[in-house]
Amino acid sequence: MNAQEQILIALQDLDLMLKETTDSKEQFKNMGFETSGVDELRRARTVLLDKLETTHAQHYERMQQRYGRAVTPVTSDMCLGCFAKVPPVYRSTTYETKVRMCQSCGRILYFP
Amino acid sequence: MNGPELLRLFDPKLCLFDLKGTTKDEVLVEIVARVAPPGSPNHRLVLEMLRNREQLGSTAVVKGVAFPHGRSLAVSKLMAVFGRSTPGVRFDSMDGEPSHLFFVLLAPPQDRANQYLPALGRLVEMIQDDHLRDRLMTVNAYEDFAAVIQGDLPK
Repeated sequence: MNAQEQILIALQDLDLMLKETTDSKEQFKNMGFETSGVDELRRARTVLLDKLETTHAQHYERMQQRYGRAVTPVTSDMCLGCFAKVPPVYRSTTYETKVRMCQSCGRILYFP
Repeated sequence: MNGPELLRLFDPKLCLFDLKGTTKDEVLVEIVARVAPPGSPNHRLVLEMLRNREQLGSTAVVKGVAFPHGRSLAVSKLMAVFGRSTPGVRFDSMDGEPSHLFFVLLAPPQDRANQYLPALGRLVEMIQDDHLRDRLMTVNAYEDFAAVIQGDLPK
């Protein structure tokens, strides 16, 4: 996993946390969890975005807006976002240094 | 979610009865090191997610107990880790007291069975019991821990 991919995944995790905090606010509150640090998380999001190359940051935001989740795992050479086949060559060392995207839906791929 | 279902989330290898960390971050690092090898991308990602969760608000919500939790792409299935620090660790708890028991709940983004929040809720509910917390402070083996979680130990 290259550095840019790691930042993209961290960003996706952070966006998921922000969304779940909003969507399940009452549930967390009922369990006694404090969720007042949303602004802190938004600042952390900006820091992560700034670490990305501009093209990757723009692509992430576009995919996030379109699908709600910009990054999706690959299982059995299949994009779990759209279930299209992912070229096996994506797993080769040549591609490990690049940010890989689904040729069908454009989502950013994560190879667990 | 009942006791046996909850227990299935805990891998015996992920029950740490003697945490060495003395700060919040040291405890998180120590626990995540059992989930993913230190220095690996997954270790960094899970740790960053848990640190972010603590920024949102401390997860030390019950007397002496903290529940660091969250979802990450670096996690492939819903899993729980138990950790215990006998001296206790300052975890920014609401009552200002140190935390001794740690239940870390990690989930993948796509949790199809939707067990993550119910499991977290069940853990928080279960641990309100003073007697159960006391028992967890004394267990030193997974079998005993399992008995407490399943409610099998005599009171």
